[in-house]
Amino acid sequence: MIGALLPLAASAVQTLTTSPAAPATTASGASFSDIMAQASGDALKTLKTAEASSMTGLEGNANVQQVVENVMSAERTLQTTLAIRDKAVAAWQQISQTAI
Amino acid sequence: MVIDPLVSSLRIAGSGLQSQSARLRIVAENIANAQSTGSAAGSDPYARKTITFESALDRASGENLVAVKSVGVDATPFRTEHLPGNPAADDKGDVKLPNVDLLFEMADMREANRSYEANLQVVKQSREMISQTIDLLRT
Repeated sequence: MIGALLPLAASAVQTLTTSPAAPATTASGASFSDIMAQASGDALKTLKTAEASSMTGLEGNANVQQVVENVMSAERTLQTTLAIRDKAVAAWQQISQTAI
Repeated sequence: MVIDPLVSSLRIAGSGLQSQSARLRIVAENIANAQSTGSAAGSDPYARKTITFESALDRASGENLVAVKSVGVDATPFRTEHLPGNPAADDKGDVKLPNVDLLFEMADMREANRSYEANLQVVKQSREMISQTIDLLRT
């Protein structure tokens, strides 16, 4: 379901951020791509929790409120990931279209 | 770890939803058992259940959630009715009936319903605010 979609978005973000921003390691030690990788990992975890709980909800073994809460947090995560990916793609395109 | 206040309010309202559904469950038990007499002659019938709530601090996030404190038993005396044919009647023919008052249960049910709606409204509002903020990225 949704979980199948997110790896695509996450890997898009990861490849985008590793190629152009690899030398841009910040002073704190973690590079931008590391942070993005961790964030997308967290996002994946949220989606997986939502899927597991919606499955138990379908079987009737979970609180409706709990299921809705988890699914809503997954939706929020997906939307944030997509919005950030769109921004990253737009930035990359602007860089690549720069006249040299 | 910093937790977004809007996400916190979603969780808090979620705990409110769960407590109010627990309350509605107790009301349902009381209404369903409003005529349940005891099993043996002269024994006590179903006693009305009460529910209380308390504030539960989630130490990891500092959120003040709501939780069910206890499910108690109403101590008001049982009604008695003279029904000599009833299997639960004592030697004088009196049957103890539950101390459930449907009027109270209806009022309690309506209050649970209203409180649930209020918490749902909080969920709706914070969800809308979150997605409006995310939409800023999409201009």
